[in-house]
Amino acid sequence: MAKAKIKFADVNVTVTVPVGTRIIEISEKVGSYIAYNCREGDCGSCLFTVLDGAENLSTPSSLEEATLFAHFQEVLDGWRSAGDLESLQSMMRRENFAGKTCRLACQTQVFGDATVAPI
Amino acid sequence: MAVTDRVHWIGAFDPKMRTFDVILKTPNGTTYNAYLVRGSEGVAVIDTVKAETADQFFTRLEAVADYSEIKVIVLNHLEPDHSGALPELMRRAPQATLYISDAAQLMLKALLNNSNIAYTPVTTNDRVSLGDRTLRFLNTPYLHWPDTQCTYLEEEGVLFSGDVFGCHYCDEQLFNDSVGDFRFSFEYYYSHIMRPFKQYVLSALELIEPLQINLIAPTHGPILRDHPRHYVERYRELSTPQLHLEIDHDVKTMLIFYISSYGNTMHMAEAIRDGALEIGGFRISLYDLEGGEVEPFVDLVEDADAILVGSPTINGDAVKPVWDLLSSFAKINVKGKVAGAFGSYGWSGEAVRMVEDRLRGLKMRVPAGGLRIKLIPSDVELEDCRDYGRDIGAFLMGKPRAREIDMSQL
Repeated sequence: MAKAKIKFADVNVTVTVPVGTRIIEISEKVGSYIAYNCREGDCGSCLFTVLDGAENLSTPSSLEEATLFAHFQEVLDGWRSAGDLESLQSMMRRENFAGKTCRLACQTQVFGDATVAPI
Repeated sequence: MAVTDRVHWIGAFDPKMRTFDVILKTPNGTTYNAYLVRGSEGVAVIDTVKAETADQFFTRLEAVADYSEIKVIVLNHLEPDHSGALPELMRRAPQATLYISDAAQLMLKALLNNSNIAYTPVTTNDRVSLGDRTLRFLNTPYLHWPDTQCTYLEEEGVLFSGDVFGCHYCDEQLFNDSVGDFRFSFEYYYSHIMRPFKQYVLSALELIEPLQINLIAPTHGPILRDHPRHYVERYRELSTPQLHLEIDHDVKTMLIFYISSYGNTMHMAEAIRDGALEIGGFRISLYDLEGGEVEPFVDLVEDADAILVGSPTINGDAVKPVWDLLSSFAKINVKGKVAGAFGSYGWSGEAVRMVEDRLRGLKMRVPAGGLRIKLIPSDVELEDCRDYGRDIGAFLMGKPRAREIDMSQL
């Protein structure tokens, strides 16, 4: 069985897992401070940051992208007064939604080595 | 019933209600408060009532307004005791616009099983005009559902607070300066409904406290027109961590609870404490569950940063005082606290894993696998306990030891 190493920076734990394991299955067992509620991709509470190895994680599904977008919408709401909302949204999509930085632990599968941390 | 010149109470009395939402005792019944606001260019209805009491709601509404006048419907919270009469109200006032919070959108569809409902999502500082009266919305999530919001009638200083500042107390006198003594109900309601969401209460108070408040109109219990700010202040008191009023904010605390049949789990607890003390930098308390009441422990747990629970295994299970303690955690917010389980056992030993699962189920952080020792801990095993204490202590202090583990070990 192919395996990968996933490091949780906040608890200083590196776990060897079977390829395909979801981040949340490990994070809750090592005490990482990646929160969670619904575990189904709806609530957006299990946000985490990818510090290294983003390319080794599963591609965000449309559900994950939608939830991430809803989460950041709260941030964007605060920037409404600054105008230019469209470009802000584009930036957030480009920087955060393409699997580079922010992901949902309940949706993200591990396919190779990576380092992650809670938001 | 007139609340002010422009605000009418159009809710319902439910004096015979004795248990609310399965868990809340209501010895005095309850009310489902709904309100009607009249502006120069239309009428707003704020919240509705439980479906079974809809007749009262519509009768009182019809006494003060025509359905054709209703321009605005606001639901501050979609739980069925406030949304029960909504479908019929929308049928009778199809021209009205429904305003709900962002988070309420999916709930609305799930509650009404109708995806064609027209609504407008609103958030903090969004406003809707009734001509000479203005409603301003305050997004106050998790008080006590994700969808909750408050609505502020600016010109009158009336806060339609939803479940916040409410209580289950039925008295047709309605106003806090006229009804009986409802302090018990107010505190009980906070304790059972708002307490797990203290952090969100404090966030909401940041929005509410700056307002000029002449009257608070909650969705249950008395309308607070006499000293309304007293209730706001009480919410802040109840929601502020008490321990940190007594010691420095930076000092973390660890609580170790145990119960022991023959002293073995107790010796484990003591060794774990000794190991944690070697890390230092935080306060540790050791409690024997056999000698304590659960309720005071809940107050301590609420303010603590780490909670370890030790139980022997009897008949393949943790023992009742342990489950009593763990079940009481549902009343408070323990999410994110550091936790762990340990215990001595005789011939099976399921308790530690069961307690650990419960701690994880409560979304506590369990950084190290539970510690189980068969019967009397040897010197080597007591050192394992001390090491476990050091591990948890280091984790609590933000300096977790580096570990490499295989998932099969988790």
